Amino acid sequence: MPAARYFIASTTVGAGGASSIDFTSIPSTYTDLTIKYSLRSSSTTDDYLGVKLSLNSSTTSFTIRQLYGTGTTASSANYSTNNPSGYMQAGLTTASTFASGDIYIPNYLVSQNKFFSTDSVAENNAATANFLSLLAGLWSNTAAITSISLTPATGNFVQYSTAVLYGIKNS
Amino acid sequence: MAVTRIATSSLKSLNKYDSFLGGNAYYVPPSFESIATTTVGAGGSSTVSFSSIPSTYKHLQIRGLSRATAGGIGAFFIQFNSDTGTNYADHRIEGNGATAYTDRNTSAIRALSGLQAGSTTGANIFGGSVVDVLDYQNTSKYKTIRALSGIDNNGSGNIAFGSGLWMSTSAVTSITLIPENTAFAQYSSFALYGIKA
Repeated sequence: MPAARYFIASTTVGAGGASSIDFTSIPSTYTDLTIKYSLRSSSTTDDYLGVKLSLNSSTTSFTIRQLYGTGTTASSANYSTNNPSGYMQAGLTTASTFASGDIYIPNYLVSQNKFFSTDSVAENNAATANFLSLLAGLWSNTAAITSISLTPATGNFVQYSTAVLYGIKNS
Repeated sequence: MAVTRIATSSLKSLNKYDSFLGGNAYYVPPSFESIATTTVGAGGSSTVSFSSIPSTYKHLQIRGLSRATAGGIGAFFIQFNSDTGTNYADHRIEGNGATAYTDRNTSAIRALSGLQAGSTTGANIFGGSVVDVLDYQNTSKYKTIRALSGIDNNGSGNIAFGSGLWMSTSAVTSITLIPENTAFAQYSSFALYGIKA
């Protein structure tokens, strides 16, 4: 059995969409946090695009290393912003398709810099309009994490987009 | 049955609680629960299936340790609700210790889900895989899987990160796993978990 994880909060976007998904007042009773998301952006000019992670309302001090693949190539990149912290589907891809992602934040309470990893896919029934991404991120901030926000790089989250926050205990 | 009255003055330590919890913390059950596990027996199995999947979860996760009865390092595939139409797609990035590359299938009859060992890989070596199926009950979404798998063959091996798509808005009620090469070998094991929200 995998490490015990406990439901903390869930958000599903309603009709009209949402500009962000927010988790606030995160309890301090866990060791690690993880978010499982199924997201799609309203942007009509992209096949896929980034999901931006904000921690304690901070959008700065993020650095990221990425391994990614499209339908034809595998590559690596790095970023000095919170975009992308993950990837998501956008409006040019097949209707009703939503990205699948998992953000893992270990030791979110320690008074040291915070790390996170994200594995996410924007799958589509097409040769190249597809994106696979593995990210390793650093938030150079020693504050305990008490709130998390996800925002699309462009557009809004569409209806039925959902994200669930879980806490993981080490015992 | 005789009932004996005990004077509270005879008790050395007496705490009165308004709750049956008696001062103990509420028990919060984990959100990650086992639904079913299948281990392949002697003679192998051409498929591994999970049927009558409960609708009481938000997400599903499959964890596997598997090997085929034929071939070398190969794959296994997934189908949902016994749908064998050309309603699937998949993409992956894969590395073999020296080179990273990509591959894909579109409008396919099944989606590639992970890598596994075969009969020509080392004895007793199995591939490991974790497959997520998020929001599996949502009837407004096609179903996307996300999978990480790998096999180390003591000198060779592959690792893959991939995605799959089932182009149906139906809720997932059954899952069938199919090996690329002939059959799943004995001791291959797949566990299906439900994740609550």
